[in-house]
Amino acid sequence: MKKSYYLFNPGRLSRKDNTLCFVPVDEDGNEGQPRYIPIEGVDNLYCFGSLDANSAMYNFLGKNHVSVHFFDYYEHYTGSFMAKEYLLAGKMQVEQTRHYLSDKKRMVVAKTLVEGAAFNMSKNLKYYQGRGKDVAKQLGQIDSFTPLIANAGGISELMGIEGNIRQAYYGAFGEIINDFDMGNRSKQPPQNEVNALISFGNMMCYTVCLDQIYHTQLNPTISFLHEPGARRYSLALDLSEIFKPMLVDRTIFTVLNKKQLQASDFRQDINRCVLKEGAKKVFVQAFEERLKETFKHRSLGRSVSYKHLVKLECYKLQKHLLGMEVYKPFKMMW
Amino acid sequence: MVKAPPAPNGGVILIAMYVILVYDIGEKRVAKMLKHCRKYLNWIQNSVFEGEITEAKLKEMLMGARAIMNEEQDSVILFKSRNERWLDKEIIGVERSSIDNFL
Repeated sequence: MKKSYYLFNPGRLSRKDNTLCFVPVDEDGNEGQPRYIPIEGVDNLYCFGSLDANSAMYNFLGKNHVSVHFFDYYEHYTGSFMAKEYLLAGKMQVEQTRHYLSDKKRMVVAKTLVEGAAFNMSKNLKYYQGRGKDVAKQLGQIDSFTPLIANAGGISELMGIEGNIRQAYYGAFGEIINDFDMGNRSKQPPQNEVNALISFGNMMCYTVCLDQIYHTQLNPTISFLHEPGARRYSLALDLSEIFKPMLVDRTIFTVLNKKQLQASDFRQDINRCVLKEGAKKVFVQAFEERLKETFKHRSLGRSVSYKHLVKLECYKLQKHLLGMEVYKPFKMMW
Repeated sequence: MVKAPPAPNGGVILIAMYVILVYDIGEKRVAKMLKHCRKYLNWIQNSVFEGEITEAKLKEMLMGARAIMNEEQDSVILFKSRNERWLDKEIIGVERSSIDNFL
């Protein structure tokens, strides 16, 4: 299976002998031992450190359909290099747009997305309730908001309900996580450790979704729940709603409760909280493990990894848009 | 949803495996072989590679290798394993190159 590569060290990535060669460079500008990355085994590259590269390398990556995702110093997602679309399908594009343009059709998809997200969020809480955490209040709140989804009159109303559910859900984080307080959800910039992890994790989830969409016929810029804006891949935002509770939040609970990350792994900058270098690595590693984890898929009857699950979700969405099968969001069963 | 019929090979569509490849090749052709193998597997030591690869990609790689080597004189040996899990790797002395995907 193809792998994601995470570049934390600064260095130079180049095309050499028709494969990739990474030469790490330390603070004094000394070059380290070159590492050759087998191009046939690269799924995508995540670039956290500063990277020197030239266009020959990007041309080469483009030919091999490898995307590069970039993150800035404060671990914000800054953008991706993506090769030109290679799975072109006009019919799919037309249908996707048609579903966006018709309010009725768009609401159907948007509602299912929110429903799926809400279900997975409450499933997360139920899991921790079974492990002796007192989250009954938040569960009750989510349950009271959920029926409103079906009756929502418009996208903004739907987004409002989604926001309420999420707020109730985040309220339970303080209970689930042992040593850290979350307080309110704060972003841009995140104020404390848990918020920093949520922001970082959501962004990783977003890139995973974007990457999987790229390998299907869907157009990543036309979305249903979020408003398709200019210069962003909003369909990835839509899709990540469903997967955030399962991929990101569970990972956060694990790394914090197992003390893989501790208070000393964070740095309080002026007005913000950021992860230290090593902490980023720990989190990404845990996240990668999570993506690789497999389970027996009910309707397919075979083992599926969480990463592949995201792609299956794209396929389901495609079938819905083409009118072959009604879209049902993925619901966590455990 | 309609239940998909089980795939004939036990459900796995892309069959990945874990391989170790070693070669012994004439000096003239050895650099070519090195470059060729680097595209598919991780280099761990002179003339030794390891990594996960799919069956199709492995075939592709071996075809390329055949084209480079002189089959009367050179040899390529492949150790295959179903999964990295079934392989204990011990390094004595220096590790020439790690094969981690965190750089």
